[in-house]
Amino acid sequence: MRFLGLVACLLFAGSAFSQTIKIGVITDRVGVSKPYSEPATEGVIFGASEINRRGGVLGRNIELLIEDDQSRPDISAALARKLVDQGAVFILSVSLSPATQQQQTVTMEAKTPQMTPMNSADYLTTQLQNPYFWQTGPLGSTQIATLLAHARSKNFRRVALITDNSELGQAIAKAFRGTLEKAGIQIVADEVVARGATTATPQMQKIRAANPEAMFLAGVLTAENVLIFRAYKELGVKFPIHSSYNLSVPIYETVAKGLIDGITFVDAYDPDKPEAKAFEAAYKKATGKDSVNLHGYGYDGIMLVADAIRRAGSTDKEKIREAMQQTSYAGVMGAKGMKYSFPEGKRAGYDPNGMVVRVYEKDKQGRVVHVGQK
Amino acid sequence: MRWLAAFVALAAAAFFLGDYHNDVYRKMLLWVMLALGYNFLFGICGQIAFSHFAFYGIGAYSAVILLFQLNVPLPLAILLGVAVCVVVALAVAIPSTRLEGFYLALATLALAQLFVVVLNEGGAVTGGTGGIANYRLPPIFGFQLRGPWYTAVIVFVLLMTLWILIKLDRSWFGRACRAVRDNPEAAAAMGIDVARTKVIAFTVTSALAGVAGMTYAFVDNTVNPPIFGLDNAFLLLFMVIVGGSGRHAGAAIGAVLLFLLPFWLSPLVGHHHVLVFGVLMLAAILLQPKGLIGLWDRYSR
Amino acid sequence: MRDFLELAVSATASGCVYGLIALAYLLMIRPTGIINFAVGEWAMVAAFGGYVFLTKYELHYLLGMGIVLAFMLVVGWVSERIAVRPLVEKGTAILAPILALLGVLVITREIISISFPPDPLPVPYPFELQHQKYFIIGVTAVVFLGFWAFFEKTLWGKSFEAVALNRRAAALMGINLSRVTAFSFAGGAAVAGLGGLLVSPNISAHYLMGVPLAIQGFTALVIGGVGRVEGALIGGLLLAFAEQLTIRYAPIPSGFAQGVPLLFLMIFLIVRPTGLLRARA
Repeated sequence: MRFLGLVACLLFAGSAFSQTIKIGVITDRVGVSKPYSEPATEGVIFGASEINRRGGVLGRNIELLIEDDQSRPDISAALARKLVDQGAVFILSVSLSPATQQQQTVTMEAKTPQMTPMNSADYLTTQLQNPYFWQTGPLGSTQIATLLAHARSKNFRRVALITDNSELGQAIAKAFRGTLEKAGIQIVADEVVARGATTATPQMQKIRAANPEAMFLAGVLTAENVLIFRAYKELGVKFPIHSSYNLSVPIYETVAKGLIDGITFVDAYDPDKPEAKAFEAAYKKATGKDSVNLHGYGYDGIMLVADAIRRAGSTDKEKIREAMQQTSYAGVMGAKGMKYSFPEGKRAGYDPNGMVVRVYEKDKQGRVVHVGQK
Repeated sequence: MRWLAAFVALAAAAFFLGDYHNDVYRKMLLWVMLALGYNFLFGICGQIAFSHFAFYGIGAYSAVILLFQLNVPLPLAILLGVAVCVVVALAVAIPSTRLEGFYLALATLALAQLFVVVLNEGGAVTGGTGGIANYRLPPIFGFQLRGPWYTAVIVFVLLMTLWILIKLDRSWFGRACRAVRDNPEAAAAMGIDVARTKVIAFTVTSALAGVAGMTYAFVDNTVNPPIFGLDNAFLLLFMVIVGGSGRHAGAAIGAVLLFLLPFWLSPLVGHHHVLVFGVLMLAAILLQPKGLIGLWDRYSR
Repeated sequence: MRDFLELAVSATASGCVYGLIALAYLLMIRPTGIINFAVGEWAMVAAFGGYVFLTKYELHYLLGMGIVLAFMLVVGWVSERIAVRPLVEKGTAILAPILALLGVLVITREIISISFPPDPLPVPYPFELQHQKYFIIGVTAVVFLGFWAFFEKTLWGKSFEAVALNRRAAALMGINLSRVTAFSFAGGAAVAGLGGLLVSPNISAHYLMGVPLAIQGFTALVIGGVGRVEGALIGGLLLAFAEQLTIRYAPIPSGFAQGVPLLFLMIFLIVRPTGLLRARA
């Protein structure tokens, strides 16, 4: 009898110990965000497996509950609710910004911590006052400020701006516009290439006629950006192109061959950084595949969550929230020496000086030419 | 009465479902609402239009803008929202009566795309590409409707929509619609004003879609342009065809099935459920044009 | 002035692509009355075919192009066989095959989406980037001339016209309706595929490229009219010129400039749905 009791206790204890920590992940496996979401999700999965290999968090394994919002905004919020119902103590959002926004209405009400390690829309931490939401993706405003700091050394007075008609492209362009105007730089041409266009020649002609010293690219649709590069080459213009961090997506190396040499772009990744190098090596060893900068977002995301839970010492959502707010963590992404942290009760955690400007060298993402906003 | 029983049953279900399932349930009810209206326009009146979702959006955005930017009281906001839908619907329908078949479809396709462009460029009024969030349904008579109670509201609106459509269907107007669908020349010869019938059918169903939109605005408490995009318009058409066009039950079945299908299929085919939709649609047209409801009829004999 | 000439060439090239898609629609509408929106997806299939044979396997351009076009002929024929013939034989209304083809549209797009990675894929140019426009214009001119001659001068072409004018009379005259239909779909697919191949070096092959092309092609068709082959090309050119001239010269913000083709479509549908060119009597 006592033996049975002992076994029962052991089993009970065992099950309590083997109880996992559930982390929800909402990603997009189908639609427009897939090229970003998929590698980010792989980064999360890789990070979780590494954590578990090293003994988990608070002695428990991490269990990822991955949901696909199929690029349907009406489904996003429902999925967040589902994850909360299933006992997730944290939700990672690696889909589109509007999806993350919709999930916030749920996490705010359910008082469940939520974080996007990737989205860059500035409104995510300002439109809703949600104390359970954090954003560690580099903000659009940070990107442009960094890009601008690099451009400032060239003393541009007149520039052109070009983007596409996607939601994110418009948001980035808006951020660019605001910061450029504040810096007293005149925008002499402001163009949009629509999704499905067959050429960007008229827009590029208009830009050429305005005679800018440089062109800022805010577009995020790959095919339309390629159209812009082709028009640029065809019309024989020579002004430098400075791009948002959309150009840090590796696809351009294949699909825009011969067109991107010399283009500078903001990135959140310095391939020379020790943490980045370590990540690349570990990823290659575990999966046999080369990693790209996008993997780092997901990896940092899950690491930040694990770090917060460790410091909270429990899976109580309130404690996690407090611990998260106190984060100070050096990840794979960011300039050398950068740490994620949330100053003065703010919830956007990417260091404003933590982005870098890199340049394409021939067809490959090349070296860092500028760091931060100075 | 049956209606009361239906209301009680459907609304009560909301109280037994968890939060997540309640959310799915609500959205499903909204799709059924849209499908019913679309079925009347397409299945009963024979008009193909892709603007249904645009009106869903017009209703939703109107409600939010009227209530929170212009601070109009709730009952007036509802009426004005419906009025906006009616005006836009008339503006599209009246010139389109000269167009046949697919030409109306194209004009409404253009309208749907223009709607999204306007939303995106609308700046502070429409919230631009980020849309509008951060609002709540104002209390009605001091009572804050939330959760399953709001679902009950949706059930109520759904049943009201269904009641309107059934009444129209069984009236002389319904017969006129069918006549116009089957043979416009014969209908005209019988003295039916074909143009007026088409316009009324389009306007009424679009207004109903707008009402559904107003209800939707408070489900997620967010409206943004991607929600009202074009892919959903095609999905609506598929739903009605697979379920059985021309029959209310068919539209409902099609909506329920195609809405829930991705959730069930997710573990199997991942995200390529659209492929399954295409196949179902093709199969329906080739093999069973009467849709699922046709199958049901056949087997319940 | 230099801008305008450059723009004219660019608009002509884009107009040619729209014209090809419009021609594809036309080839199928004329004998059967069926509007097949899947032409956009067919252009996409050909673009991906271009990626496979020209980028991945690096075949000689003409050979790769030939293989892809031959493949498109088969695709068109199969689509007709599955989605159109059974319905026409059953005698259903015109709406049924149109809807069935919508189903084919979705299925085609999903099959491509499953088979290839999600990012846009590069398709090579036969000549330099700068010369692509002239290549497009040249090929299109050849195709249109060919079809014009086909319809005007050959017996086959005349039988197409006969079917377009009056199906029953044509059948009574001994013309094989189902063969004409099958060929019109095969031809339509090949023409749409050609359009896809020509435009994809610029826009890359990606699985969302079908719907915008289908809409642009249809707008071109509405403008030019279904009656004559030349109408498709003229409609395409007009649309492209309107689009690009507006973006370049009109003092409205670019965001609204994308509304121009849509506005055009709505205006033409309401004011002149039969298009600019009338059919021959």
